[in-house]
Amino acid sequence: MISYQIPLLYLALACYLLAGAGYLAAFFGRRRKLAFGARILVVTGWLSQTLCLGLRWQAAGFLPVTNLFSTQFFFSWALVSTYIYFDLRYRIGAAGLFVMFVNLLLIFSILPRDPKLPVLIPSLDTPLFTLHIIFSFTGYAMFAMAFSLGALYLWQRRADSARLPSLTDLRKLNEEAILIGFLCFTVCMVFGGIWAWIAWGTWFSWNIKSLWSFIVWLFYAGMCHAKFVRRWQGTGYALLSIAGFGVVLFTYLGIGLLLESNHPLE
Amino acid sequence: MQTAGQRLWNLCCSLKLAIVLASLATLLAIFGSLVIYAHPTVFGDLDQHTLATWWRQTGSRQLEQTWWMPLLGLLALLLAVNTFCCLLEWLRHLRHRWRKLGEYLIHAGFVLVSLGFLVGHLYGFRIDRAQVFEGELFPISPWPGHYLRLERFEPRFGEQGQPLDMYNDLSLLRGEERLVRQVARINHPLQYAGLVVVPLSFGRQAQGFRVFQPGKGNLLLRRGSRLETGTGAVLHVEAFLPDAVKGADGRVRQRSGRLEDPAMLLRLERPDGEIWRGWYWLRSPLPYPLVSAGIRFWPVEPIFASYSLLTINYDPGINLALTGAVLLLAGTALTLVSYYRKRRIGDHPLLD
Repeated sequence: MISYQIPLLYLALACYLLAGAGYLAAFFGRRRKLAFGARILVVTGWLSQTLCLGLRWQAAGFLPVTNLFSTQFFFSWALVSTYIYFDLRYRIGAAGLFVMFVNLLLIFSILPRDPKLPVLIPSLDTPLFTLHIIFSFTGYAMFAMAFSLGALYLWQRRADSARLPSLTDLRKLNEEAILIGFLCFTVCMVFGGIWAWIAWGTWFSWNIKSLWSFIVWLFYAGMCHAKFVRRWQGTGYALLSIAGFGVVLFTYLGIGLLLESNHPLE
Repeated sequence: MQTAGQRLWNLCCSLKLAIVLASLATLLAIFGSLVIYAHPTVFGDLDQHTLATWWRQTGSRQLEQTWWMPLLGLLALLLAVNTFCCLLEWLRHLRHRWRKLGEYLIHAGFVLVSLGFLVGHLYGFRIDRAQVFEGELFPISPWPGHYLRLERFEPRFGEQGQPLDMYNDLSLLRGEERLVRQVARINHPLQYAGLVVVPLSFGRQAQGFRVFQPGKGNLLLRRGSRLETGTGAVLHVEAFLPDAVKGADGRVRQRSGRLEDPAMLLRLERPDGEIWRGWYWLRSPLPYPLVSAGIRFWPVEPIFASYSLLTINYDPGINLALTGAVLLLAGTALTLVSYYRKRRIGDHPLLD
C-alpha cells in the first residue's frame, strides 16, 4: 500500500515546485508560455495527488482523514483544487503563489510522517463524517486562497505592478473566495451538527474545536457582510482575509497539535 | 424626518450592527474558549447538562470564570434578533429583492438554529452515562411515567478485538404502553419526539452469586431471591453489593462496581415474624443467626449481568434546529447558483 503513495507524493511535490518556479519566471520574465507550462504542471501534480488519494480511499474503505498525515494530505489536495479552479477560471497565475507556498509547506511537513492508514473509529463510520470533512477542507482551502489574494492585494497596492491583476479584480476574487469558503463551511457545520446529534445526542458541543469552528463561521459571516461597507472594502478586507486565515490555521492545526481536544492530530 | 420608531427599526435592521455584534461575539467566544480550556474543573461537565441546568448548578456559582457566558448569549441573541429584523425587512420588499432569496434563507436558518438552541437548553434535559442492565426498567426521571427497557444487549468486536458496535435493543415505555422499540447502535440512536438515546459504552457487573446448598445443589442468589429453608422460615435477599464497605457509622455502602468485597443484605423470617436481618459478607462465614436456624450454603461463583451506558437527551428545539439546517443548506445552494448567475450576466472579473 505504501509502495505507490510515496512516489506519487514526490511526483506531485516535484510538479508543484517546478510550477512555482515557472509562475515566478513567468511573472518576472513576462513569458506567457511559462505560465501555461506551470499550469500544466500544477494540474499534473494534482492528478498525481488525486490518484494517490483515490487509492488510499479505496484501500481504507473510507475517506482517510483521521490523522495528521491524512488531513494535511487532504488539505493540500483541496488547496491545489481551489488554486486550479481560480487559475483555470480567471487565469490568476502568480496571484496564487501564496497558496502554492502554503501547499508546499504542507507537503514538506508530511513527508517524514507515517502514511499508514489508521483504523476507523466506529462513530466516524458515516457518510456525514465524509461530507463534514470534505466541506470543511474546501472551506479552509478557499480561506487560504482568500489569504493569498489578500496578501497580494496589499502587495499590489504598494507595488502597482502591471504584471499582477488589478486591485479591483483582486478584491472581487478575494470576495468570491470568502463567499464560497463561507458557504462550504456553513454546509460543513450543518453536516457536523447532524452527525453530532446522532452520534452523541447533542448537536453543539462545548469543546474547544467546536467553539473555534463556530468562531471561524462567525468571523467569515461578519466578513460576508463587511464587503458591503465601503470602509472595509479593499485594504480592510485584505487584512481581514489574512487575520481570518490565522483563525483557520489555529482551528485546524493549533488546536489539534497544541491543545487537548476531541479532534487530536497525531 | 424619521420617527423614533423608524430609527429603532433601522438600527435593528442595520448591516453595521450585524458586523459589530458578530465581531464582538467572535472576540468574546475566543476569550471564552480559552477560559473553558484553562478551567476544566468548572466547565468539564458542560456537555452533560443543558445550559440552563448547568448554569443553575455550577455556572452561577463561579462567576469569576463564567461571566462572559451570559454576555455571549446576549450578543448571540441580539445577532439573531438583528438577523430576524433584516429578514422581515427583506420580506417587506420581496418583490424587488427576491434575487437575494439564498442569502435570506441562510439568515432564516441562523435564526431558527439559534431559537432551537435556546429552546433545547431551556426546556430539555440530559442524562449522561445512564447504566441500564439487560431486562431492567430505567425510569427517565425528568419525564415522569416514561421508562427505557434494555431488552437485549450485544457488543460487536472486530477480528483484532477492537469494539465495532453496540447493539441495544431498546423499548421506550410510557407506563405499560410501548411507544417505540428500536435497536440503538453507534450512529443509529433511538429517537422519539426530541428524545435521543445514544449508546456510549458498556460493561458487566456482578448481580449476585451462585451458591451451593447441601442436598439442593446450586442456587442463584441475587436481589429479590427467596430461599426456602425447609424449616418453615424463608430467607430473602434484599440487596447485593459487589464491593461493600462498612462506614464509621456502622452503615454498609457500595464502594465501587467492581467485584472486590461482595456482601448481601439478608432477611430471615417465619410466617409469624422476622427472625433476623443483616449483612452477609461473602468472603466470611455465614452469620451465626442463619447457621443456628439450620441454613447451610457457600458461594460458588458470581453471576454477572451486562449493562449498557447510554446518553439520554431530550431536546425540544431539535425540530427548529433541523428546519434551520435545511434552510441553511437550501440557502447556500441558492446563493452559490445566484452568485454565478450574476457573474455570468456581467459581474465577472476580467483577468489576464
